[in-house]
Amino acid sequence: MTPFLSLLVLIPLAGSPLSYLLLKRDRASGIAATLAIALVTLGLAVYTFWNVYANVPEMGQYALVGSYQWVGTPNFTVNLLFGVDGLSSPLVLATAALTVFAIIGSRRLITQGSPPYFALLLLFEGAIMGVFTSLNLVVFYVFWELVMIPMFFLIGVWGGDRRRYAAMKFMIFIFVGSTIMLLAFLAAYLDVSPFSFDITSFASNGVPAIPDGLQYFPFFASIIGFAVKLPMVPFHSWLPDAYTQAPAPVAVLLAGVQSAMGGYGIIRISIGLFPYAAHEWAWLFLVLGIVTMFYGAVVALLAKELKRMFAYTSLNHMGFVMFGAFATVISANALGMEGAIFQMFVHAFTAGMLFMIAGYIQHQAGTTEISKLKGLQNVMPRTAGLLVAASAAAMALPPFASFLAELTVIAGGIAVTPYTAVTVLVPVLTGGYLLWMIRRVVLTPAPEHFEVRDMPLVDAAALAMYLVPLIILLIFSFLIFTPAAPVAQWAIHLTGGA
Amino acid sequence: MDYVLLAAVALGAAALGIPFFQLYRARGPLPGYLLAVALVAAIILVALNTLSPQPVPEFGTLLTSDALGGLFALVTLSVTLAITVFSLPTISSRANGPLYYSLLAFSALGMLFLSYAADLLILFVAWELMSLPTYALAGFDKSRQESNEASAKYAILGALSSAIILYAISLSYGLAGSTQISTVVKAFAAQSTDPLSMIAILLFIVGFGFKMSIVPFHMWVPDAYEGAPITISTLFAAATKKAGFVAAIRVVLIASTVYTVTQGSVFTIPNIFAVLALLTMTLGNLAALTQKSMTRLLAYSSIAQAGYILIGFVIFSYAQSNPAYAVDGTLGLTGALFHIINHSVMVTAAFLSVGLVLVALKRADLGAFEGLAKRAPIASFTLSVSLLALAGVPPLNGFWSKLLLILSVVNGPYAWLAVAAVLNSAFSVAYYIWIIKRMYMDEPENRERINEPLTYILIFAVLTALIIGLGLFPQIGINFAQSAVP
Repeated sequence: MTPFLSLLVLIPLAGSPLSYLLLKRDRASGIAATLAIALVTLGLAVYTFWNVYANVPEMGQYALVGSYQWVGTPNFTVNLLFGVDGLSSPLVLATAALTVFAIIGSRRLITQGSPPYFALLLLFEGAIMGVFTSLNLVVFYVFWELVMIPMFFLIGVWGGDRRRYAAMKFMIFIFVGSTIMLLAFLAAYLDVSPFSFDITSFASNGVPAIPDGLQYFPFFASIIGFAVKLPMVPFHSWLPDAYTQAPAPVAVLLAGVQSAMGGYGIIRISIGLFPYAAHEWAWLFLVLGIVTMFYGAVVALLAKELKRMFAYTSLNHMGFVMFGAFATVISANALGMEGAIFQMFVHAFTAGMLFMIAGYIQHQAGTTEISKLKGLQNVMPRTAGLLVAASAAAMALPPFASFLAELTVIAGGIAVTPYTAVTVLVPVLTGGYLLWMIRRVVLTPAPEHFEVRDMPLVDAAALAMYLVPLIILLIFSFLIFTPAAPVAQWAIHLTGGA
Repeated sequence: MDYVLLAAVALGAAALGIPFFQLYRARGPLPGYLLAVALVAAIILVALNTLSPQPVPEFGTLLTSDALGGLFALVTLSVTLAITVFSLPTISSRANGPLYYSLLAFSALGMLFLSYAADLLILFVAWELMSLPTYALAGFDKSRQESNEASAKYAILGALSSAIILYAISLSYGLAGSTQISTVVKAFAAQSTDPLSMIAILLFIVGFGFKMSIVPFHMWVPDAYEGAPITISTLFAAATKKAGFVAAIRVVLIASTVYTVTQGSVFTIPNIFAVLALLTMTLGNLAALTQKSMTRLLAYSSIAQAGYILIGFVIFSYAQSNPAYAVDGTLGLTGALFHIINHSVMVTAAFLSVGLVLVALKRADLGAFEGLAKRAPIASFTLSVSLLALAGVPPLNGFWSKLLLILSVVNGPYAWLAVAAVLNSAFSVAYYIWIIKRMYMDEPENRERINEPLTYILIFAVLTALIIGLGLFPQIGINFAQSAVP
C-alpha cells in the first residue's frame, strides 16, 4: 500500500488552481510555476516507469498499489484503487512528458487568456493520470469524464476558426461513447459476485469472474466508448475537426495522449474484463483495426492541409493498436499486444511532434495549407529539418523506435494469418504521402514574396526533445517490452489461449 | 430544549414582525437582515435537533422530530436563506419590500412544519401555509403581465392540488378513523384490497405530484417559473418542490410499504412510480432541449430531475413487499434524498446566476448568455458548474446521487429504468453543454462588464463550493441521506 500513485494524480489537479492564481498575477512566473508542477509530475512518472521496469509485476498483478475507500454504503462501495503495470506505466510517462512539451510549446503559441488555459492543461494531465492509474471502474469513469471537460474548453475557446463546431462535435461524440461505456460498467458490476467495481476482482484467481454468456453486452458497450476515443473507423468523424481546430499544444495532447486512453481501455477493460466475448468477436475488431489503418493512410494521402494530414496519420497509427491487441487475442501470440503497447507510446511522441510543428508553421507562416507552403528548407530551415525528422519517425524509418513498434504489430498479425501481411502497405503508404508532402513543402524553391521567420532556436531544441525517447527506445526497446510481456500473457491466459 | 419549536418561533416572529416596517413605510435592507437572522437561527436549531433528536411533546402526536424532517427542514430553510440574501439588493429598495420578506418567512414556516408533520391535519395546514404566500409571491412583480399570469395559473392549480389532498385525507380518515399518519398507514395495510385505500393513495400522489412537478402534473411549472420573480422561481424549484417530496415520502411511500392491491397485479405503487419516473425524466429532457428561454429551460430540467428522484421511490416501495430488495430499497431512497439535497444546491446556483443576468440585462433568453463569460465571469462559472452537476458529470455532486439511484434499480425488475436514466442523462448533456458553449465560446453583443455585487459573489462561492465539495467527498452527503431513510 503506497500513496505514491495518488500523488501523480493529485499534484497536477491541485496545481491547476495554483497555476491559475499565479498566472493571473504574472504570466512569465506563472508559466514557470506551471512548468515546475509538470516537471515534478514528470519526475514521479519516471520513477513510476522505472519502478515497474525494475520489478515487473507478475501477470494480473499491479505495482505501487494504493487503496482508500471513497464511498461506502451497503451494496455500493467505491475504492480509490490505484496501481500500474507494463500497460499503464509507459502511458503515464508519455502523458507527463507530453504535458511538459505542451506547456513549453504553449508559451509562444498561446497569447490570450493564458491563466485558465494553463490551469486546464494541468487539470487535463491530472485527470488523464487518473484514467491510466485507477483500477476501479467508477474512479476510472470519473477521471474519464473529467478529461473531457478541460478538452472541451481548450478546443472551443483557444481553437481555430471552426472551434465551436469542433468542440461541440467532440463533446457529443465522446459523451455518448462514455455513456454507453457506463452501461457496460453497470452490467459488469452486476455480473460479478460479490458486486464490485474493482478491476482486480474481475479475475482474482486467474479465471474471468463474469460468466461467458453475460460478457457480450458489456464487451460491446465498453469497446464503443473506447473506440470513439481511439478513434476507430466508423467512430472517427469528430477527429479531423477536433485535431485541426485545437490549438497546436492541445492537439499534441489530443493525438498523443487522449487517443491512448482508447487503446488502454480496450486492453485493460474490454479484453481484460470480458475476455470470452473479446475472443469470440476478435475477428471483427482485427478487421476494423486494419480498416482504420488503411482508411487513415488513404485519406491522409488526399489531405490538402498539414494538420488534417497529421490527424489522419494519427488515426492510421492508432489502427495498429487495435489490430495488434486483437491479433494477440486470436493467435495467443504475445507480439501483437506488446507491439500495440509500444505503438501507443511511440505514437504519442511522433504525433505530438508533428502537431507541434504544424502549430509553429501556422504561427510563423499563417497557414498550414500544403499548396501555400513552399521552400521551407530556405525560409524556415530549423522547422523544415524538424518536419523531416518527425515525418521520418511517423513513417517508421529505422533510426526511430516507431519502426520497431509497427514491425512488431505486423509480425503479431502474421501470427494470426499470413494474409494480414498486407498491412505492411500501411507504412509504405504513410512513407509515400509524407515524402510527397516533404517534396512539396520543404524541397521546393521558395516563392519570392514568401517572407516568414523561422522558429526560435530554443523552441527548435525543445521540439527535438520529442525524438529522444524514440531513438533511445530503438536500442533499449526492452524498457517497454519487458514490462509489457506479462500484460500480453495475462490477456492470452484470460482469453483461453496457451 | 425543544429546538424545532424554537425554530418555528423564530420564523413566526419574523413573519409577524416584519410587516410593521411596511406600516411605517420604512425602506431599506433591515427587514431582509432580520429574516436572514431568523433563518440562520432556525437552521442552527434544526441542525442541533438533527444531531440529537428531541421529541416534541407539546404537540402530542402532531409532529415528529426525526432525521428525515431534519434533512428537509435544513434544505428548505437554507434555500430560503440564500434567496433572502440574494433579494437584498433588489427588493430592499421597493416600497413593499417588508411584505415580500414576511411572505417568505410564512412560507419557510410552512415548510418547517411540513418537514416534521406526523399527522395529516398538520400536514395539510403546513402545506397551505407554505403554498398561500407563494401564490402572492409569484405575482410580486405586479406591473409585469407574465408575473400575474404565473401567479394566477399557479394559484388555480395549487388550489386544485390542495383540494385533492384534502379529499385524500378525508378518505384516509374514513378508512382509519384517525389522521395520525402511522395509524393511517396501518389501516391501509389492513384493507389493502379495498379500492378506497387505493383511490386515497392515488389522490395523494396526484396532489403531492403538483408540487413535485412530476409529469403529467407539471403544466404550471414552466409558466410559473418563467413569470415569477427569479428568486421565487428558485424557491419553487429548490424548496417547495422538495416539500412535496417529503410529504410524499411520509404518506405515500410509507403507505406503500405494506400496500399492494392484489398479489400479481400490474397496478402497484412501484409500477405507478416507475411509469411516472420514466415519463417525467424523458418529457422534461425532451422539452428542455427545445426551449429558447433560460428560465423555462431550467424549469423543464428541474422536472426531469424530479424523474430521477422518483427512481428511488420506485425501488423503495418495491422493496417493502419484496424483502430480498431491502438493501437496494435503502440505497435507492438514500440516493433520492441525496439527489434532493444536491438538486436544491445545483438549481439554486443555476437560478440565482441566471437571476444576476436577469437583474442586469432584463432578459434571460438564451441569446443573453452569449459571451457571458467575458461580461460576468463569476456568474458564468457558477452557472457552468451547476449545469455540469445537473448533467451528472463527475466529480460533481449530481453524479454521485444519480449513480446511487441508477445502481439501486440496476439489479431487479426495474433495470430498464436504469438504462432510461443513463440515456436521459446523456441526452440532457446536449442542452446543458450548449449553454456553456454560448457563455464561453460565443462572442458577446457588447463587452460591457456586468456588475457582480459582493453579496451575489458570496452566495455563488458557497454554492459552488458545496457542489464541488459534495462531489469530492460524497460520503458526507450519503451518510446524512442514509441516516434520514425512515
